[in-house]
Amino acid sequence: MAKGLFGAALIVACGVTALAHHSPAAFDRTKEVKLVGTVKEFRWQNPHTWIELLVPDEKGKEVLWGVELTSPTYLIRAGWKSNTIKPGDKVTITVNPVRSGEPSGIFRSLQLPDGRVLTERPARLGTPDSK
Amino acid sequence: MRRSAAILVIAALVSASCSPAPQQSPAAPAADPPLEEGRQLSALAPANLAKPRPKPPFDLTGNWFVDVSENPEAWRFGPPYPRLTPAAQVHWDAARKYAAEGKVYRDDIGQCWPAGLPLIMTRFWPMAMIQLPTAIYMISGFMNSLRIIYLDGRKHTDPDLIVRTFNGESIGHWEGDTLVVDTIGFRGDHHWMDQGGVAIPAGEQLHIVERIRMVGDQLEIEYTMTDPEYWEGEWKSTKRFNRVIDEDIQEVSCLPDLNEHLQSTRSKTQVLQ
Repeated sequence: MAKGLFGAALIVACGVTALAHHSPAAFDRTKEVKLVGTVKEFRWQNPHTWIELLVPDEKGKEVLWGVELTSPTYLIRAGWKSNTIKPGDKVTITVNPVRSGEPSGIFRSLQLPDGRVLTERPARLGTPDSK
Repeated sequence: MRRSAAILVIAALVSASCSPAPQQSPAAPAADPPLEEGRQLSALAPANLAKPRPKPPFDLTGNWFVDVSENPEAWRFGPPYPRLTPAAQVHWDAARKYAAEGKVYRDDIGQCWPAGLPLIMTRFWPMAMIQLPTAIYMISGFMNSLRIIYLDGRKHTDPDLIVRTFNGESIGHWEGDTLVVDTIGFRGDHHWMDQGGVAIPAGEQLHIVERIRMVGDQLEIEYTMTDPEYWEGEWKSTKRFNRVIDEDIQEVSCLPDLNEHLQSTRSKTQVLQ
């Protein structure tokens, strides 16, 4: 079930602005939505990796969410592999949703069935925590 | 008669097979065929590469990444922004209006149009640069966008012949320790000077002069940009770039299935016209 978690930490979006091929202004960085669902597709690709996640709504109907991630280069630095998730996996993903209310969001974190949590590594900002 | 002819053929074959192979010196530049009138030697033609030239003051061959360590927004070329013409102000105002509504105005890069110069230089992807005596080849990790700066003394292409592009036609020359690059010939549609809530178009009159030099280990590029269609006077901005030694560029394309799976690019947040 999709559940909105409001008032979450405001995230600096600058890195995504230029790393992404599209403007990040479509996403509401002040909101986080936790998605609990089943992976339909995980595409490991440049310039963006993406996840399609089937998430049951309040009535139990499955809604297809699109989750946008950074490029594999930065995911690898954060501990991802191309087989970290696969279709059929039950996962929990937190996103900043698009402002329009459509089932789409930009990735914040992934919780795997074994409890491990993966995030993204920010693009190379020249700061100690991003190299 | 028949016998003598056969002897002659055999003698000729033996002679050919025993002749020493023509001597080839691998160091000698290959002879290029003569140029047709009005044609320019390619930057990769051996005869062009082999022409005597002064040693350049630096070699920027390597992978480079814009330095945003002090300002995460330093990939932008403003603020400050120049005074806009009415033709640009329309877009600026529209972007602000839609941003206030939570919408994205004319994000052409997000719709897979090339970023173009100057934005292509400061995407958050490494830029591979390969310097030869005759040209610098730049390939951005972002969509593998190609930019060539010719250093072989050629002039800009006749305006009636030029093929307008998003990165334009760049001609460079050395002035002391600085490489001065003059770029014109831009596409004037779907080409923007900024992204993410700031909409200033880049037009066909866009003219960019870059003064490139090494400052310590960093590459510094001082931009002076004019486009009388969209802003008044000179728009100046200086960028620094750091070497990337642990990352190569990869194949990156805006494939048809990319935005198909990035719902935000097709969402109601997008104002495409």
